[in-house]
Amino acid sequence: MEAKVEGGGDFANASYTTICQDTFRDLGVRASIDRVYLYVDPKDHVFIISVKIGRVTSPVKVDDVTRQETQERYRITNENYAPKLLALLGDKYGERAQQLSRLEISLTLDEKEIDAFKALIVYDPREDLVTRILDGMDRILPEGARVRCPISLPDSLALIASENSITEEWKKKAEEIMRMQEEVSEDV
Amino acid sequence: MYKIMMFEGGVYKFNELKELIEDIGGFILQESVMQSETMLHIAFPEEEERTIRDKIKELGGKFTKLPLAGAEIIIVAPSLGKHHAVNPMCDIAEFLRREGAITNMMGLARGVGKRIAQITAEEKKIIDEFDAAVFVFGDFKECIEEKKKLCETIETPYLMVGGPPNLELAHYVGGIGRKTDRMRRKGEIDTLKTMTAKLGEILDEKRLEIEEDPLAASPPFIEEMIEMFIPPKAGEELPVIIQLDGLRINIEEEDVGEIKDVEVGKKKLSEICEIKKSLFKGHLLKIKTEAEVGGIY
Repeated sequence: MEAKVEGGGDFANASYTTICQDTFRDLGVRASIDRVYLYVDPKDHVFIISVKIGRVTSPVKVDDVTRQETQERYRITNENYAPKLLALLGDKYGERAQQLSRLEISLTLDEKEIDAFKALIVYDPREDLVTRILDGMDRILPEGARVRCPISLPDSLALIASENSITEEWKKKAEEIMRMQEEVSEDV
Repeated sequence: MYKIMMFEGGVYKFNELKELIEDIGGFILQESVMQSETMLHIAFPEEEERTIRDKIKELGGKFTKLPLAGAEIIIVAPSLGKHHAVNPMCDIAEFLRREGAITNMMGLARGVGKRIAQITAEEKKIIDEFDAAVFVFGDFKECIEEKKKLCETIETPYLMVGGPPNLELAHYVGGIGRKTDRMRRKGEIDTLKTMTAKLGEILDEKRLEIEEDPLAASPPFIEEMIEMFIPPKAGEELPVIIQLDGLRINIEEEDVGEIKDVEVGKKKLSEICEIKKSLFKGHLLKIKTEAEVGGIY
């Protein structure tokens, strides 16, 4: 992920570049973002953040987060996905799927069912990618800039934030920034 | 005037040092013994520094200055949201504590933004209860210049910290700003040291003012008298906090009435102190000057 900040002075630009990098990394979306551009105008108190979404990581399947121990016992290998996995198994297999301990699941499956079970999708990052990116943008933008105006395109998002009302001029500026981002990706 | 310093060393003849401190009329403000390591915050009359240094030389150990000791400092951020807390507020607080200060944190109700930033009358009163305040601002020069106006309404000495390093503002230290992780790099630690030094200077000015018109009794002395009269109960953390010109007492409501009758020399506490309920925590004792109430003996 490439982050660029302009308009805030040397210290603020460097500081906000780090904030962008760290925030999106904390939210686990850094790999899915190509570029972040933040334009700040502290004099008018207007901030425009534009995110170009890139390649989204592939969905997490049951096989990725569990290991078969015996015929009917599975061990959860990545606990982060345990709640989602258990909810999925509950929906799909009902009382056949039992949680024996924190990381142990009991589930009796036929030979035919095993492949389908392993291919079940536990979590698709595409589902909440936009929500997480918007959360990241909210964490990056100054808290006082509470008037927000989102602009979205199929693979990019922009958010204008200010403590004053947002004028047409700033909306045009945001669109221009988004266009610029698109052009950069075409060049690449 | 009392000087507050920190002793770090072993347990060898440790009690002799404690006895010496008592003999010269000093106080132990904080004591921590961890296996064979000890740490003491000591308040003692300035003129007795040589005696203590000689004893420490005999015992072996470190004796360091605590420029912020005896002061209760509040760290004020525009809000307690994730944009300002925990970084860099906690790093600043930790650094101030290392230099001997007692710290508290506060987020303003409507302190965010540039034009919309406000400070309420109650918040001002709370900040004025402390010996000094550190305002933690962000990265933009324009916002800091605007928010400076909020700080100017405060009566207590203050320091502003923010991002831009070269701002021509009084009581300002730059190079901090918004952070997403701990300030642990060398450059960042140097900035925190600069901040502490500047705050130390501000507090020294206040100390000098107090010295010019001395208090009826010193805060560590009153603390000892209070603790003799009302011993700290189990689980009560920092029941008495000393400030430069008073004390904050965090005791149970039922004991508050008794406080007034604590004898300090020949006078009662209520005669030499102004006692009021704090808007922040506990009760505040503001010690009157010797010129106002006369000597305690």
